[in-house]
Amino acid sequence: MSALCPPPSPAVAKTLININGYSPLLAATFAYWDNILGPRVRHIWAPKTDEEVLSDGEITFLANHTLNGEILRNAESGAIDVKFFVLSEKGVIIVSLIFDGNWNGDRSTYGLSVILPQTELSFYLPLHRVCVARLTHIIRKGRIWMHKGQSIIPMLTGEVIPIMELLSSMKSHGVPEDIDIATTVLNDDDIGDSCHEGFLSNAISSHLQTCGCSVVVGSSAEKVNKMVRTLCLFLSPAERKCSRLCRSESSFKYESGLFVQGLLKDATGSFVLPFRQVMYAPYPATHIDVDVNTVKQMPPCHEHTYNQRRYMRAELAALWKATSDEDMMADSVIHTDESFTPNLNIFQDILHRDTFVKNFLEQVFHLKPNLSLRSTFLAQFLLVLHRKALTLIKYIEDDTQKGKKVFKSLRSLKTDLDLTAEGDLNIIMALAEKIKPGLHSFIFGKPFHTSMQERDVLMTF
Amino acid sequence: MIGSPDLVAFTREEEDEPAMRVSPGLPEEYSVPLFPYSEAESSPWSRLSGAKFSRDFVLISEFSEQVGPQPLLTIPDDPRVRGTFDLNYFSLRIMSVDYQASFVGHPPGSSYPKLNFVEDSKVVLGDSKEGAFAYVHHLTLYDLEARGFVRPFCMAYISTDEEKIMQQFLELSGDFSKASDCLKTGNRKAFANELEKKLKDLDYTRSVLLTEMEEQQKTDEKGFYTTQAIEKANELANVEKSIIEHQDLLRQIQSYPYRNLKGEEYQPYVPESVQDKPDVCSSELAAASDQEENDDPEVFAPRSSYIPKFIKAKSSKCFDKKLKTLEELVDIYFFTQTIDLLTSIEKRYRGDVSYLLMGHLDRALLDQQTIVNFLFEDASTWDCKQVARQYSDNLLAAQTGVEAEILKPSTSLESYKSSVESVPIKIEQELFNDEQDPEVTELSASDNPANTECLDVDTKGSVSSGESIEVLQTEKSTLLIHSESQPCLGFNTSPQPPRRKAGSRRTISEDSIEVLSTCPSETVIPEDFRATYQIAINEEEAIVEDLDREQSSSEVDPFKNEEAENNLAMEPPCCIRSGSSEGQTGDLVPEQYDEGIVVSIPPQPCKNIVQDFGQVKFSIEHVENTSSEPISSPESSFLLSSKDAERNMLDEYSDSTSYRSSASTCSDRTPSPPPITTFTDRQKRKAGQNALMFIRQYPFSHPAIYSLLSGRTLVVLGEEEAFVKRLVTALSLFVPNYGHVAKPVKPWVTAPLHIMDFQKWKLIGLQRGVSSSGCNTLHSLNRYSRYASILDADNKTLRCPVYRGALMQRLADHRTQIRKGSTYYMHVQSMLTQLSAKAFLFTFCHHVHLPIQEKESEESIAQRRAAFLHQLLGLSQEDARIVEYLSELLKMHYLRESGTQLLPVLRFDYIPSFLYKI
Repeated sequence: MSALCPPPSPAVAKTLININGYSPLLAATFAYWDNILGPRVRHIWAPKTDEEVLSDGEITFLANHTLNGEILRNAESGAIDVKFFVLSEKGVIIVSLIFDGNWNGDRSTYGLSVILPQTELSFYLPLHRVCVARLTHIIRKGRIWMHKGQSIIPMLTGEVIPIMELLSSMKSHGVPEDIDIATTVLNDDDIGDSCHEGFLSNAISSHLQTCGCSVVVGSSAEKVNKMVRTLCLFLSPAERKCSRLCRSESSFKYESGLFVQGLLKDATGSFVLPFRQVMYAPYPATHIDVDVNTVKQMPPCHEHTYNQRRYMRAELAALWKATSDEDMMADSVIHTDESFTPNLNIFQDILHRDTFVKNFLEQVFHLKPNLSLRSTFLAQFLLVLHRKALTLIKYIEDDTQKGKKVFKSLRSLKTDLDLTAEGDLNIIMALAEKIKPGLHSFIFGKPFHTSMQERDVLMTF
Repeated sequence: MIGSPDLVAFTREEEDEPAMRVSPGLPEEYSVPLFPYSEAESSPWSRLSGAKFSRDFVLISEFSEQVGPQPLLTIPDDPRVRGTFDLNYFSLRIMSVDYQASFVGHPPGSSYPKLNFVEDSKVVLGDSKEGAFAYVHHLTLYDLEARGFVRPFCMAYISTDEEKIMQQFLELSGDFSKASDCLKTGNRKAFANELEKKLKDLDYTRSVLLTEMEEQQKTDEKGFYTTQAIEKANELANVEKSIIEHQDLLRQIQSYPYRNLKGEEYQPYVPESVQDKPDVCSSELAAASDQEENDDPEVFAPRSSYIPKFIKAKSSKCFDKKLKTLEELVDIYFFTQTIDLLTSIEKRYRGDVSYLLMGHLDRALLDQQTIVNFLFEDASTWDCKQVARQYSDNLLAAQTGVEAEILKPSTSLESYKSSVESVPIKIEQELFNDEQDPEVTELSASDNPANTECLDVDTKGSVSSGESIEVLQTEKSTLLIHSESQPCLGFNTSPQPPRRKAGSRRTISEDSIEVLSTCPSETVIPEDFRATYQIAINEEEAIVEDLDREQSSSEVDPFKNEEAENNLAMEPPCCIRSGSSEGQTGDLVPEQYDEGIVVSIPPQPCKNIVQDFGQVKFSIEHVENTSSEPISSPESSFLLSSKDAERNMLDEYSDSTSYRSSASTCSDRTPSPPPITTFTDRQKRKAGQNALMFIRQYPFSHPAIYSLLSGRTLVVLGEEEAFVKRLVTALSLFVPNYGHVAKPVKPWVTAPLHIMDFQKWKLIGLQRGVSSSGCNTLHSLNRYSRYASILDADNKTLRCPVYRGALMQRLADHRTQIRKGSTYYMHVQSMLTQLSAKAFLFTFCHHVHLPIQEKESEESIAQRRAAFLHQLLGLSQEDARIVEYLSELLKMHYLRESGTQLLPVLRFDYIPSFLYKI
């Protein structure tokens, strides 16, 4: 990280943030394109550390360059574009979100960037989608606020700090890429040794039906983490790196966008999930309580996406209508449109049973533990699921001519691909959704959307 | 569960909800669309279609000091790929984010120009309006004529899918880094050569100037300096300064590797060798180095060929000079290598990211289950060494106590006990193993397609000993070891004259069982075989044919002898009903032979056997021998349609030759590395298409597939080669592999079948009619008809055991709505993976195979095994047989991989057959 950089503009403000433990994030910056001076940095956020890895000058130099070439910006209206830099010469990676905004009547180009050391590249990449999704939404909100002539900085601070904390917690409690099966329930001598057979089956089945996203809560960190690791066995290595174990001393906050996360209950024996963040997760989630052996799941992807978008639109609309700073205290109260009442009962019992997980669990415990037999059998199980998911995508692709036609042969699909059990179909669809995003909405979204509209119309009578 | 602050805003009644969806007042640019596919024709596939180019491509751009950013070339170099996409604009965009421009230049205070060895930077960016996203790899090349001696370039992978780039960022980065290294290495070489030439020019110029000055001094004896002399002196001083500068530059570029402080794998520059070539192309470089040195001596030995020229004092103006092209900047060999690398990158990342990502995941999972991969996976996924390592623990467990027994083939025979009787006959395959397979030996060195035809004949030639497999009331047999009399003989892999070295030999075992042995030894001459047969069995003559005599090897007609003496199952050709004229009714008509409804002349011997034995097991003990691995034709030929197959007949032979050649070496049983034969997408599609057509057109597809999956050889009989091959292609999907090489499939055989063919092949395409050797193939087929399933392609009939299970309904449903062959291939693959998993479970569930209590009877264990299959795995009797067969293959494979020596086993099941017709 070289030294010869221009000094920062005196106008650059800096916020130092206290982070417990190591922060892989070196700094975050907010820059804008000045029509006279070119790219300028407005604000820097940096973790408070004893050793300064990047000087303010270096940060400013890097941040300015994130807007390089953006004078040519050719984006769709309202687009928030992502640029990703790996600068070996500087030893850093930079993630920049570039957007256009109006501030005091002037339209300009802005860039919100986070800077990490290049050594954290493989750590960061699995989390890229999470970070970008969260920063994108805060920019959506901040852009509205800028339009009203207000400063975007407090709003950005409200998301930059949690992202720093998220990355820090992932560094200390992230699930490793390789999980030793001996540390999971699948190493038990017999099914039911660690947890009840039906509970385990439900947990894994629902976990797979919700695209591998689960929240495991409990009073014992050890018990929670065993379940977290077990569920992570059913994820890809990259997804595991986007999962977090439970902290034994005190619980982490719920983080939107992680695949599996373990959370410790408080002294009262409860854990409060933030509704908005649960809704803003890219996939629905399964809620698993290892204390009382309950498994609840959110609606499937297309319904989750629909609810999420309605909620987002409501929140943005409420912000558009807000008139005072008090209305903007985003983290204390969610501002939605007055006419929108979301269904809060988002975690429900599992409706559909499957045969895949049930059979797998019945069979895997017949193999001797502590050999590689169970790992192999698990790999075979996952391979079957993956292949079925890919076949399903191809089937739909053929049937709809790559989306040009409406998919009408769900019944045939179930029969042809041996997915007649509804739970089986859900599991395969969920896997397919991850590699072909939007598949649920394409197949089920339209009918669901229509039915919701009809319901709305009927309710107006 | 839900946080209370989140609830505050949600207090309104639901009747107001519809009004909300409009989000009144909020501009659309600040909102998010409610439904992702609200627009017409939008879908998960169409979201990428907004771009002006049709598919991903690689772009190389330069930031020219004369004209600014400009595109140089695209890969593929096809205007249709990039369409109307504005490359100039996009080059400007991607070059404008280059960080390296900040890091190059002359450091202040330095007396000499300084080369900056900047590291590459990588950027992912996009143009959302154009629907174009790019991974951009920035690099700088050196050019003596350029400003600051550097020329900024970038290589970009341009796609319509941003996720595709981000999700494969590390892979893309790694691949482009290799290409960049290659390019930069070539550039350093070219740059150094250029410097050396320049130094020669300067040296020559200096000498010319010195000479001129000396001449002037001679002419001007007064010692006064004329204006011309002063100019010359200044010129000379400039030249000398320039020499020092260029020497310094040369020193810098030659010291490049020592500047590498960050652990990157940069290659050193060694002007006179090719040692500095990067890893990525090292193999090619090694091969090419000699040629290069010969072909292009100027590159490597500039001193010897370069003629220095005089350099004028005043150089041309900046914009008058012509900048070097990329080809000129980089050593031509490295440039070619870079283009090849980029071409391979473009191909590797081509297509839908879903399939690419799933491919990565699948490979990772396949790596974790190497023990079963051989059954149905591509050969490229096998790694035998890993199996041995991974399962060493299992082996230990299996080897303790009686556990080892469950893996022994002899024990495993029990799993094949029929309801009537099971009679194993052990026929030793003397010296018949991978390493010693004479056919392998013969063919090993015959990669020349010209030899392939006669080599292929080798597989067709056979010893007629079909009737020797008659088994009568034998409960047990003994493994005969004939190694003393027929020692294992080594063979070399050098080209041999085509000579058949495999022969069958019958002896009588202790249990008076006919034993057929095959000796691949070269030293065992045909006469030996004949004599042995006559002495030992006195039943038939064996024919051991030399390949070069194969075409005329009709000196003995073993069929007649057998017919006369044994009265064995010799079903007349009419057994296979020629009822194709009946048309396709679509009804499946399974008719048991015993009932004699379909067959006009019921084959009495067959009937007797069916009645007497029901299911009789015949085995050549130790089926699986690495050397006797089925040597099938490559998929590349048998998965082709008839036209393609015909077109590629030569290739077929060539391929089969090549992989045979790698079978193994002599006495060492350690399998040699198998040749990798993998399905291409096209072959998969073709195989899937044929299979789909087969299951739709043939109502008896289920029993046919069942035969293959349960290890019963299926012979596809027909006159037209192309048609038979198509059927074989279709059915080959369902053939489990034995072990090492490729699927045991023989797409087309014209010679009469031999007993050993059934050991080698599980799916055979057989020509109907008289073979080139004059034998009627039907005769030989009839001899073995009880032990094989026969699909008559001409008459549209199938004779095979009945299938009543449920698996085939899911695997091969003729009513399936699957439209494309590739999709059906994927479906079959997933179903077969499920089957493999069941077989794995059954094989390695120790408690199923081992006695729980002391002195537990075999019967009790067998019952437990059956219960496991039926109750836990939910399999019917036929489906259970499939799993048992796969399990058997697994055991053999496992034992072999873990070092246990096995001899090949040939096993037949006497199961009642039915005739199916359309």
